[in-house]
Amino acid sequence: MNQLYYDDVNVNDEIPTSEKMPTEDLAVDFFGRDNPTNPAFADAEAGKRMGVGGALVPGLLKLSWITQYVSDWAGTESHVNNIRAAYRRPDIAHRALTLSGRVVDKRQENGKNIVELEVMTLAEGEPSVRGNVTVELPTRP
Amino acid sequence: MPEEEIQSKITDEHRAVIGVKSEPVTITVNEEDARRMRDVIGDTDPRYADGTGIAAPYVIAGFGGGRPRSMPFILPGGLLTQQEWKFSRPIRIGETLSAVSQVTDIRERLGGRYGYTILMTSSTDYFGADGEHVAANMTTISQFDPAMAKARE
Repeated sequence: MNQLYYDDVNVNDEIPTSEKMPTEDLAVDFFGRDNPTNPAFADAEAGKRMGVGGALVPGLLKLSWITQYVSDWAGTESHVNNIRAAYRRPDIAHRALTLSGRVVDKRQENGKNIVELEVMTLAEGEPSVRGNVTVELPTRP
Repeated sequence: MPEEEIQSKITDEHRAVIGVKSEPVTITVNEEDARRMRDVIGDTDPRYADGTGIAAPYVIAGFGGGRPRSMPFILPGGLLTQQEWKFSRPIRIGETLSAVSQVTDIRERLGGRYGYTILMTSSTDYFGADGEHVAANMTTISQFDPAMAKARE
């Protein structure tokens, strides 16, 4: 993992995109096979009965991917302080998700280097989750 | 075209739970869960590798205690629509956290793909053994009736 420094980040910088392929198995394994979860995570028919058109991708799985995406970009000396996600459309298993993001603000606050990001997941080119992430970055030594 | 008339399903009993804090629910950040969630999403961040004693921040989201037991289920379907997490410090594997939750808002909405929906917002604060704040979560779930959603297709 590369380390990003506050000094090197600019507003409108883009984070390289990342692809994820959600599946029913990933969803069930994420929460643990012995733990009760929404049946629609594992069963496309249950998802269809809910009106989502297939096996539902858990919001927490997408939130975890967004956290990982930002952390991978920012490096191990960073700290994700805050993440806010609006789930605009349900995602279904076996439909690829593209994570993309860009820097929308950077500022120093109480001695901390804060960078604000807009992040989204795109399914078939349409945003399904829109997120805002606040990450703290180190100053270049 | 006449506006669709619909009677509110939110009762005074439902509203009475708003702002009522739960009794603390104790959760332990378990190594097996932390490892499984990390591995399932393919997170290779060395901070969360075996032996570091630190769990990735999203691990806490998978634990219980995140939804108030008092939350009313007014409609049979539910989808996560909004979520916010604040992390005050890293989460240590094996530590016991205390989660205090409350319903913070209940409102209704008409329109969109699900027709009549109820937006249920709750918050949970997580505290460490010494009472220090570890994380906070705010979640909104849209409750809906799948039959009504199908009828609108």
